[in-house]
Amino acid sequence: MKSVPTTLRQLMRDRSAALGFFLVVLVVVAAILAPWISPHPEAVWDMNPANRLKPPSRTWLFGTDRMGADIFSRVLFGARITLMIALVAVGASLLIGVPIGLWAGWSEWWIGEALMRVSDVFLAVPQIVLAIAIAQTLGPSIENVILALSVTYWPWFARLVYAEVRALKRETFIEAAIALGVPPRRIVLQHVLPNVASPIIVRASIGMGFTILTAASLGFLGLGAPPPAPEWGRMISESREFLPETWWYALAPGVAIFIVVMGFNLLGDGLRDVLDPRLRRSHDR
Amino acid sequence: MPILRLRGTTAVARRLVLAGFASLALLGSLGQTATAQTRFVFANESDFDTMDPHVAFDVGRIAVRLNVYDGLMRWQSNPAKLEPWIAESYAISKDGLTYTFKLRKGVKFHDGSEVKAADFVYSLERILALGKGAASLFKTMIDPGKAKAVDDTTVEFTLTKPSAIFLAIVPEIHVVNTTLVKKNEVNNDWGAAWMSKSSAGSGAYKLTQFDPAIGFVAARNPDHFKGWGPKFIDEIEFRGVKDTNTRVLGLMKGDFNGLGGYLQADQLKRIEESGKAKVHEAESMRVMMMQFNTTRAPLNDPDVRRALNQAFDYDGFNKNILGGQVERNPTPLPNTIWGNPKDIKGYAFDIEKGKALLAKASAKIDRPLEIHFLTGFGQSEQAAQLFQNGLQKMGIQSKVIGTPWPTIVERFSKPETTPDISIYWISTYYADPHNWIGEMFHSSGAGTFKNAHHYKNPKVDALLDKAVEATDQAVRAKYYEEAVRIVVDDAPGLWIYNTKWYGPYSKNLAGVVFCPIGNGLEMRTAYYE
Amino acid sequence: MRILALVAKRLFWFVPTAAGLIAVVFFISRVIPSDPVALIAGETASRAQIEVLRTKLGLDRPLPVQLVDYYRQLLKGDLGTSLFTTRPVADDLFARLPATIELTVAAMLIAVSIGIPLGVISATRRNSGIDHGLRIASVAGLAIASFWLALILQLLFSMKLGVLPLQGRIAGFPPRAVTGFMTIDALIAGRADRFWSALAHLALPAITLAVPALATIVRFTRAGVLDTLGRPFVDYQRATGIPRALIVWKYVLRNALTSTVTQIGLLFGILLAGAVVIETVFQWPGIGTYAFEAILHSDYAAVMGFTVYAGGIFMLVNLLVDVVHGLIDPRGGTA
Repeated sequence: MKSVPTTLRQLMRDRSAALGFFLVVLVVVAAILAPWISPHPEAVWDMNPANRLKPPSRTWLFGTDRMGADIFSRVLFGARITLMIALVAVGASLLIGVPIGLWAGWSEWWIGEALMRVSDVFLAVPQIVLAIAIAQTLGPSIENVILALSVTYWPWFARLVYAEVRALKRETFIEAAIALGVPPRRIVLQHVLPNVASPIIVRASIGMGFTILTAASLGFLGLGAPPPAPEWGRMISESREFLPETWWYALAPGVAIFIVVMGFNLLGDGLRDVLDPRLRRSHDR
Repeated sequence: MPILRLRGTTAVARRLVLAGFASLALLGSLGQTATAQTRFVFANESDFDTMDPHVAFDVGRIAVRLNVYDGLMRWQSNPAKLEPWIAESYAISKDGLTYTFKLRKGVKFHDGSEVKAADFVYSLERILALGKGAASLFKTMIDPGKAKAVDDTTVEFTLTKPSAIFLAIVPEIHVVNTTLVKKNEVNNDWGAAWMSKSSAGSGAYKLTQFDPAIGFVAARNPDHFKGWGPKFIDEIEFRGVKDTNTRVLGLMKGDFNGLGGYLQADQLKRIEESGKAKVHEAESMRVMMMQFNTTRAPLNDPDVRRALNQAFDYDGFNKNILGGQVERNPTPLPNTIWGNPKDIKGYAFDIEKGKALLAKASAKIDRPLEIHFLTGFGQSEQAAQLFQNGLQKMGIQSKVIGTPWPTIVERFSKPETTPDISIYWISTYYADPHNWIGEMFHSSGAGTFKNAHHYKNPKVDALLDKAVEATDQAVRAKYYEEAVRIVVDDAPGLWIYNTKWYGPYSKNLAGVVFCPIGNGLEMRTAYYE
Repeated sequence: MRILALVAKRLFWFVPTAAGLIAVVFFISRVIPSDPVALIAGETASRAQIEVLRTKLGLDRPLPVQLVDYYRQLLKGDLGTSLFTTRPVADDLFARLPATIELTVAAMLIAVSIGIPLGVISATRRNSGIDHGLRIASVAGLAIASFWLALILQLLFSMKLGVLPLQGRIAGFPPRAVTGFMTIDALIAGRADRFWSALAHLALPAITLAVPALATIVRFTRAGVLDTLGRPFVDYQRATGIPRALIVWKYVLRNALTSTVTQIGLLFGILLAGAVVIETVFQWPGIGTYAFEAILHSDYAAVMGFTVYAGGIFMLVNLLVDVVHGLIDPRGGTA
């Protein structure tokens, strides 16, 4: 595992990774500064039916929506919701998946194996299918979207870590540590974990993009954050009945999703190249 | 075989025939197929999952019942009038318990057998046994075995108690061909499996094709007892097309000749501007409303409920969001029906007045109120958002939650699970005030889909009971008017608009007769000009 | 032998995993706080009438009992009866399967026939402008929300230009179902107009689904080709004077497609089992739309039937992919 400054420096040398980093930073900054940079911060909740469905203009950069709110401001605030959902969901998946993967991979105890079988159950259908079922069951809210995404995403991390740990256990330096009588807890935390950190980070970055797309799909299907939350997927779905006249309604949130997912994907690819030379071989020669 | 004969004819004759074909093709470009038959294709807003007339009691699937089946009576024209249909005449006994219908002679099912009184008896028994659709309403007034065929042309129904609305729902006893249905019974299912995809009716059109994923096609029944005008449509097709844009574009392209669903003002404008279709307009009866759960604090306090009534931007919604295509309806009864007092102005959008009411209310609002809209219904969602906005200005926090129809109906069943505020519509199932105020506010109806108020007011209950037992409409109207006044003052709900009906049809389609029950989907009288 | 062991292991776990999946979805679908019985009973049904119907449908018994019942039914090949269509779920799924397969095949045909050549070009012209462009495009292809892409395509081609239909599978009633594939049935019926209609309806959803698949295929093909180009046999062949194009398109490609084939298999599985969102946007009458409507309506039997189908297809495809992967690439094999 390399130090953070080294990693960053190497990342910046790769143009597409740098672009990804820039896009992610852009969206993060937009999310943080949303209340200050949005021209109509009240647009998140205040409605003015008289202004509805206005095309883009100097007053309304991206036009207005069906409730007469400024779409530009809503897209900015939407970045907060999107990033929050993805961060918490991926974070929770990490917190569940990594320990299970470590434990199941290291101890050969049957419970560990059983947990991996449980993860297989979740991997036996495409994520979106289970996520829809769970989100629909629990009712639409940000918390439930996060829950649905975490419950269906942790097996990916468990799987990844499990495979890495099983491979590592056969490495000489680990076998040596075991032979020397180093307590298992210390081996796992000091030797195994740092070695699986790189693939985890890469997976997490790609996972952010993936999770944002799934969350937006849930929003689009009406199973996401409820109104007036400016959730991008739901904004796109709202726009449908006003097409083709109000093309701007669908455009802005879609581009926003594209930018942030593109950012995380490019960043993930870049990180893979820098952090994980093994994978680099097959992906970027 | 005219094509074969063509070979031996002269070039002139050949050219004449070709010209004939060309004019047919020209007709085709006007929205009809290139055959001599006239076709009408309707894009319905929801799917036709079943063809059985006895399991559905809704507007979305009414086209099957109106076109393929007949009843004793039928709601016709606008304002809706109940007219004898297969019945020639009817009589009600003095005690209001026995209804005797005299049938027309010579009415035939599609297979040529005669419609007899026994078929109506079987049809009612079938409705009650299947327990779906209109059965629940019938069960409140008539028991199985209480319908009797006196002779082939006389059918008699004996009610358990007098009911002013029995006649209003008699049209739902769509007559089915007893012999045919019985022949297709499996495990005593009253032919349910077979009837869901076939037909056994006597209606103006005969079912020829049905696919639940697409819709149904029916061909004209030349022997229909009502007879036909000089012009008519030979074949009708009803398709389920859930996406609004597809429906609108299809009509503009000529793929469809009529559209269902309540379109937004800008879509109607688009259709009119296209020049391909025209929009028929009529008064209708479908009230958009919010129902408050009156059992829980703070909404158990009438002052809080009155304050809430001042928090909705009625004009912003009706005029801006809906583009003025609806009319404000200040009471739970549609403006256009009898029994609704004409002088009630209702509540207005007034934040300050609302705040004042809240100040004097005994209940304090110490939690966010839950506003539930129907998932997939953009209008109810926008109303929820607008209401949330008004409440916030009044200092009340709220959560807007989308809930699918089956879920919300289940939640209504108990006061504890009923949402604080639910936004939806009550359409015309039968044109009687009981359809709205009777089922919405009588305490006995609490928990049904029409009653999420769980409202209990003995005075209102008594008035509504008297209104159903009385038979004279003038007397009944008085009871309803009084009930409406009490309810509006007590504000267990919030009433937004009564819809107008906008029916987009092909430009050359004529003869469409609108009725609030049926929304202009009875095609018997329609034709192309 | 390794492959046999792998297959045996996968098959051994097939049944318990499927049973687990069914149990998970079973409990999820039953805690939905909505009441399909109330809906079926009719809008004006009283509580008592609803309860009678509930008992009749067997939905009043304890959940574990219902689950065991379900397993038992399943062993007999019975997926239950849909509460809404009142038809056997297996029939419903079977009726909708051709639509989903037709869409999946069309999407994959587009993705493979364009993706592999582009991947090869990208690799052989490594670091050229084309390569950079294709790499950015393939990342972008995976970053577009597919439902948004669908909307933009509809906006352009259906609403603005009016050249392709917005939704559905064919205009009007379909030709007589022989194979269930609309395009083929139209040809069988000898109706060129119906064929074009079916094809036009297929275009937008297939393109939408093809975009992310295409991006994946380009990436993996490029990586595979680069990997193979670096192997000694390529240098040898080049030394013997075989034209470069022949080397690339024949010898290199054959060796380079291992991981691409794996990806194609997985993409097939994902599309067959989970094109829920795109099928819904296009109102494509396939399994995905069926699943979404079943979930919205809490149509228990239909939701479960779909899960059994999706899980079965997905696991089967995964298994096949592993086997194929093991067969063509003896080096790999981390089970």
